[in-house]
Amino acid sequence: MNPLFQILFDDKTTFLGGNLKETKWQSIPDKKIITLIYFMPIGDALVLSEYNAYYHYVEVTNDLTGPKKGQVQLEYIYLIGKKDTTYKLYKINLKTQQIEIQILTENDKLIKELNPIGWKKGI
Amino acid sequence: MATVMNFLINYVDAAVAYATTPADYILVDLVNDYLIWTAGDTVVKDLMTHEPTADELNAAGTIISDIADTMVAKCLLMDYSHSVGGAYYTHLVLGMGLNSRYSYCFSFDGITATIPRLEAWDDSDHDTIAKHVLGASTPANSMVKAVRTTGGLPGAGWAGTPIAGAANYVELDTAVLSGAKDLYANCKIVIPQSYATPSAELFCLTVRYTYL
Repeated sequence: MNPLFQILFDDKTTFLGGNLKETKWQSIPDKKIITLIYFMPIGDALVLSEYNAYYHYVEVTNDLTGPKKGQVQLEYIYLIGKKDTTYKLYKINLKTQQIEIQILTENDKLIKELNPIGWKKGI
Repeated sequence: MATVMNFLINYVDAAVAYATTPADYILVDLVNDYLIWTAGDTVVKDLMTHEPTADELNAAGTIISDIADTMVAKCLLMDYSHSVGGAYYTHLVLGMGLNSRYSYCFSFDGITATIPRLEAWDDSDHDTIAKHVLGASTPANSMVKAVRTTGGLPGAGWAGTPIAGAANYVELDTAVLSGAKDLYANCKIVIPQSYATPSAELFCLTVRYTYL
């Protein structure tokens, strides 16, 4: 089984991500990321490089009522690359496997409200 | 590990936080337990000794008023294990719809990337809001009103946000979670005056949250 992602750092070392429940994003060493290869659930891969910073998180729902109550449903993966003042967002729908791409700025609510602890430095 | 949320209801004193007196709360077994919004009667009430039947729930339905909006009077937790405070199947959620801060608790065990939200949908697909209780596809008309109470009381006569779909939701805190934290909300159902379509509807309340 593929790791969730693979990272190449500027010192030529690498880091492997975990899975959707234990992503290991917070265990990424504090080194400059040269390339991030993100392995999609359907088998393809997204390759991100030359960004100033990277962000990744998983969105889930937990129903309190209804037929699937109590089941944590994986909804989306968010992968963000920051370059200067723009942010390229890959929103991966885990139910349909479709990817939506958005270009955001630091003034967008989604960017402004992100937990700053999740940013990992690039070049 | 992924951040985990537990859902609890206060059945003793809605002025007391979970961290202060955990015994005032019931941890909801989301797979087997469920919430019932009802007018209540002599049968469907707090501390029932059996699981209410569909006929009993229908008999205790809310009467739609032709002179004013009507708040559904009670929210009961149907406790499948009936193991709290005696062999009771139902427990009244204290403070529901009132100026109460600690009725519904959402207890998170770790950090989040974004602010957790309380949403309402037709079902677990989370893509439609056609049911009458959710405004029949008009989110602003949703009868499900919610208010964040993590930071304080909701205020007397609180109106709340009509929650339905992706655009009408309630954020359960004012910022992302930087560690384990208990969040709170109050939630009620208000049926508009002279609403023309009586019904008994199941809908999906969901908490949407994120982790790194």
